[in-house]
Amino acid sequence: MSGREFFASRYRELGWTCEPVEPRQAIRINTMNAETTEVIDRLESRGIQLETIPFVEDGFWISKSDFSVGATAEYLLGFYSIQEAAAQIPARLFAQLKHKIVLDACAAPGGKTVELADLMWNTGAIIALDIKKQRLTALANHLERCRVENVIACNADARQASHLNLKFDRILLDVPCSGNFAVDKDWFSRRTIKDVENNAKLQRGILAEAAKVLKDNGEIVYSTCSLEPEEDELSIDWAIENLNLETEKINCLGERGLTSIFGKKLDSSIGNCRRIWPGQTQGFFICKLRKRVSA
Amino acid sequence: MNVISDFVGKFNARISLDQNLIVEKNDRYFLLNKNLKRLIAKGFLYAGTYLGKTKDGIFFPSFGLLAMIAQADANKTTVDSKTEWLFICGRDVFKQGIKSMTRPARKGDYTLILNERGDCLGFGKILKSRGEKEGKTKVAVKNIADIGDFLRRER
Repeated sequence: MSGREFFASRYRELGWTCEPVEPRQAIRINTMNAETTEVIDRLESRGIQLETIPFVEDGFWISKSDFSVGATAEYLLGFYSIQEAAAQIPARLFAQLKHKIVLDACAAPGGKTVELADLMWNTGAIIALDIKKQRLTALANHLERCRVENVIACNADARQASHLNLKFDRILLDVPCSGNFAVDKDWFSRRTIKDVENNAKLQRGILAEAAKVLKDNGEIVYSTCSLEPEEDELSIDWAIENLNLETEKINCLGERGLTSIFGKKLDSSIGNCRRIWPGQTQGFFICKLRKRVSA
Repeated sequence: MNVISDFVGKFNARISLDQNLIVEKNDRYFLLNKNLKRLIAKGFLYAGTYLGKTKDGIFFPSFGLLAMIAQADANKTTVDSKTEWLFICGRDVFKQGIKSMTRPARKGDYTLILNERGDCLGFGKILKSRGEKEGKTKVAVKNIADIGDFLRRER
């Protein structure tokens, strides 16, 4: 089961009509390296027009640029990162990141790792894992360019995070997912429901391991760029039923998470999640979870 | 780590790095902080601040290390905006593009290349000592490494 009509009919059933969209290119200022106003001035002096993204601090859409924003001195000096607007949200949902021990379980290519380091002002520590060694090269380049100082990057499967023998205050799970058509023009022809099911299984394995290595009262932010509920609300519903986790309310872009999916009723707290249908950003799903304190 | 202090010395500079916090992994050097030192795992690929690597006995610095040297009293050459971009594209620095140098040029020394805002763009080797006869269009500093490398290495 695949194809545009198959997936579009699923989205219709979930309450959204599938329309072509073109998410805009966005940047995020690395405030540990440069003042936001200075970077804006410098980019505008090069003829790059920016528009403030209303729902993320230090994020800007590129309104006009005659050349790649990935080829300016400011970019190469690590003053900003190119990061899609919705992807800038998850790292900002953690409370009190400074001086914390953070796990970024599926880190490469590192956009959110750098954002975490920026929010932490290079304090504490981030353990960044990725299962694909080749992708860690991109992560390392990103960390070097952005002058990140508080990351340890390892080639490891997030499902084996307990082998690190560490407990974490905060865990970012930007898990591998099926993606969405807004950022992949061939998405409908490449993806099947089997891929979605396989990814959902992988995501549950990662969630389970994360719950193991999270400190009591610690926070997980779970995100995907998938629109498929099997990878989003249904995975979270499974997690709160099985992993001693509970959802937390978050204040960010997006609609409430769906609590009734294809005839199945989910826990009402799934409404705390946020589902972003493609439009001004790509499609995205975000959830914040807290580990219940052990009795 | 002599290899790092020797390299820094080529800019007639000194920087203080806590040797206990420097780790080597596969000929790559990283500067940790105390937090990271406590957490570092055997199989890490990258940690803390990347300082550079050695290959065939030659030290290749990171841009983070160059930025650290730029904070110190060191050989620095400030270039104009046109030269800034050419340098980032891998070109050498011509005399006419130089706005200032912190010290009189001495042939064979290394110098950091800075833009007019003071950002470190990379480094090069000085080809002529001050007073040596040269034309305006002659190369003054040979580009050895520039931040454009971040683009080139991902191709």
